[in-house]
Amino acid sequence: MRRRRTIGLAAFGAAAALLLAACGGSSGSGSGSSSSSGSSTYGAAITSVVNPSTHKGGTLTFGNSSTPDSTDPGNTYYDYMWNFTRLYTMPLMTYKSCPGSCGLQVVPDLATGPGVVSDNGLTWTYHIQPNVKFEDGTTVTSEDVKYAVERTFDRSLFPLGPGYFPLLLAPQKPAYPGPYTDRAKNLMGLNAVQTPNPTTIVFHLAAPFADFNYVAAIPQTAPVPPAKDTGANYQLHPISTGPYKFQSYQLNKQLTLVPNTFWNPATDPNAKQLVSKVVMTMNMNANDIDNRLLAGDLDVDATGTGVQAAARAKILSSSSLKASSDDPIAGFTWFAALNTTVPPLNNLNCRMAIEYAANKTNYQTAYGGPVAGGAIATTLAPPNVVGQKAFDLYDALSKPNGDDAKAKAALKACGQPNGFTVGITYRSDRPKETAAAQALQASLAQVGIKASLHGFPTGTYDSNFAGVPKYESQHDLGISFYGWAADWPDGYGFFYYLVDGKAISPAGNTNLSMLNDPKVNSLLDQMASTNNATTRNSFTSQIDMQVMKDAAVLPGVYAKSLLYRSPNLTNVNVQDYYGMYNYAVLGVK
Amino acid sequence: MAAPLDVFPPSADATLDGALAGVSRKDIEGRSLGQIAWMRLRRDKVAMVGGVVVVLLILIAVVGPHLVQNPDTYNANLINPTFSRPNGPFGGISLAHPLGVEPVTGRDMLSRIVNGAQVSLLIAFLATALAVGIGVFMGVIAGYFGGWVDSVIARSMDVFLAFPLLVFAIALVGVIPSAAFGLSGNALRIGILVFVIGFFNWPYMGRIIRGQTLSLREREFVDAARSIGGRGPYILSRELLPNLVAPILVYSTLLIPTNILFEAALSYLGVGIIPPTPSWGGMLSEAVQNGYYSIDPMYMIIPGVAIFITVVAFNLFGDGLRDALDPRSSR
Repeated sequence: MRRRRTIGLAAFGAAAALLLAACGGSSGSGSGSSSSSGSSTYGAAITSVVNPSTHKGGTLTFGNSSTPDSTDPGNTYYDYMWNFTRLYTMPLMTYKSCPGSCGLQVVPDLATGPGVVSDNGLTWTYHIQPNVKFEDGTTVTSEDVKYAVERTFDRSLFPLGPGYFPLLLAPQKPAYPGPYTDRAKNLMGLNAVQTPNPTTIVFHLAAPFADFNYVAAIPQTAPVPPAKDTGANYQLHPISTGPYKFQSYQLNKQLTLVPNTFWNPATDPNAKQLVSKVVMTMNMNANDIDNRLLAGDLDVDATGTGVQAAARAKILSSSSLKASSDDPIAGFTWFAALNTTVPPLNNLNCRMAIEYAANKTNYQTAYGGPVAGGAIATTLAPPNVVGQKAFDLYDALSKPNGDDAKAKAALKACGQPNGFTVGITYRSDRPKETAAAQALQASLAQVGIKASLHGFPTGTYDSNFAGVPKYESQHDLGISFYGWAADWPDGYGFFYYLVDGKAISPAGNTNLSMLNDPKVNSLLDQMASTNNATTRNSFTSQIDMQVMKDAAVLPGVYAKSLLYRSPNLTNVNVQDYYGMYNYAVLGVK
Repeated sequence: MAAPLDVFPPSADATLDGALAGVSRKDIEGRSLGQIAWMRLRRDKVAMVGGVVVVLLILIAVVGPHLVQNPDTYNANLINPTFSRPNGPFGGISLAHPLGVEPVTGRDMLSRIVNGAQVSLLIAFLATALAVGIGVFMGVIAGYFGGWVDSVIARSMDVFLAFPLLVFAIALVGVIPSAAFGLSGNALRIGILVFVIGFFNWPYMGRIIRGQTLSLREREFVDAARSIGGRGPYILSRELLPNLVAPILVYSTLLIPTNILFEAALSYLGVGIIPPTPSWGGMLSEAVQNGYYSIDPMYMIIPGVAIFITVVAFNLFGDGLRDALDPRSSR
């Protein structure tokens, strides 16, 4: 997923918790309720809940520098949207709302408990709470969850979300095309998911997959009532099971949520219903968002990747502003994917030339230097993915300003001694990414690689541009700026959708390197089928090493995000899983 | 008393010469329009200052880029990475960087300003040439032929004047692909900008020339030319145009700063020159839109002052030129 955080030790803890859960123990008993603190100090929200309060009322305002990729829980793949959808959805599982490593635990949400494994790991059974209601008062049944899962099979209608269900569930012949094409059996045509009674749902997997509870925590398992599904238009008004529901949504302009009167807090302890209105305004200028945050006119920067340069300078040089900010490790890597199918980048040596020529210091400075941007990355996986090991194939640490001599040698080896032309894509509404793209263009120019810049808005980056392989090859776009965090706290959850050949998709593609290396694919397959946690985690660094040997990405920084915590907010904590503030529990003063 | 004719005896020359001894032949030669204008211009100190600055700017734009360092070189060591601002006061002014460096990238401001001057002046001059070319042609035709030709041209001038130039430029840049008409990249972008600015500014010149032509065509020398057999093209090119040189010159000079501001505005809106090529408007845009002005005010002040000086210099010079060339104004 784009941007998320995993902590090594906590993931072991989570794996252990899973085992406990499978034995019937409670998985939420870890650190209990987090320490709460009323005082506001720098980084307070990373380890505690700041301004805990039960005060109700007020309007919670979010500012978005672009638009959501989709508000449909079945069709979104942005970290901040998985966070935001918790305001109007209840997936089967979710992450415990608490600060620190506590927040990496996956706990039941719509389900009554974690999945019960049987049949040698091939069957996962969940029981859902009997009295959860949709916003219209109808009771949620297991068929609504099955329908939500079925929708994700239609990759042409919903290309943007992850495709773990088609990947992991037992296949049927002919392949299940999704409920819009297969209208048979009351739209319950997916055989791999059974609903023996309204409160039980059974998943039959193609092969054992120990991480399935994490898959159940993806927003795609949030129930969707078939009678009210409007396909591509469902994003305009998803039927809510969470604390808030859609009141109005002007696409690309503004989204307004109001309290869902049928939400029962007893069924959903990881969310709160405190405010009387939630408003997200789209397409705001990124620096304008920061100015309004600092002025108190806006409560949250929705995308949660940190303030821009001007606000950063203001915050870090003022002790009062600094006390209202947090600098969490965001849990993802900013990098540039090198498209292995766009000539001449299809030649490994040409890609290696880019790895050597890039000025890593300028990349880091574009994001805010070591303090606010993050450490220079030498691997694709950030340090907090379980099993990650540090290595540096292209001298990024010993020669952070690039190695032009080695770059030129690589250019000669790939038959382009005078350089070549290539296109760079990046998200133009993100000033830090724009600055990084310009810095890369300048450093490549020094070895003769003439790069042209192509900026696109975040909202359509994946659906129309960088995420469409045909578009990239037609326009010679060989370098694509991106960020990625694990879908769940281990190596498989980080790597699969980023580097597996099977993950390549005609739209909403996340394997921007178009990498289809049999070695990487086989390592990922082995990882999926290994039950022993230690062995499974040892694959992480092997995959990482092979990906870097293929020079499939140019790593940038292991992201840190300087977040401004508006004094107007209550119940603020950094949710480690998202690497940003937990949106499901926020209130305002 | 001598007869009146006696006042001028045969040796008039000698007497006249004696009377006017000490005064050379040249002093009493009639002066051409150009000479008169130049004298009047010389006396206008403000306009002369403007003129000197204009010449300097053109020199800087033509020669400058070869004299300063590479505008695309990043100097990360001069930047405080946490704050993204240049080390040192006033945006990092030092001997090596007389105008400081840019925030985030550390690129030398002086070389970016000088290279930006080249871009700004190039586009402004080309666009002005286009506007003047079209404007003079249309204005003369409209003024001389009158009738329905005049009506059509005058109405089309109104249409073009009403056109939202900035909006159209943004739309055009979005629609034209990155390679068209045999050009690509910055060459294509400059072409688009010159076309938009020049093509939509011709009514400014057209109206003035049309007015001048309308008054000129009633003059006796035009009648005289017609009476000796001159037709339209002859009259237009040999009789009218030379008399239009003055207003053309003046209003061209006054059109250039307008076009510089248009180019800056388009760069500010993001449809100007493609980065990393510097342009004054682009630097202003980054300074304001990315909030760098609060970190490093010089980043906004320096290109702003550059635009200001350029526009004022051209305006002062143009005003002075108009005063000098206009025979009716009394100085």
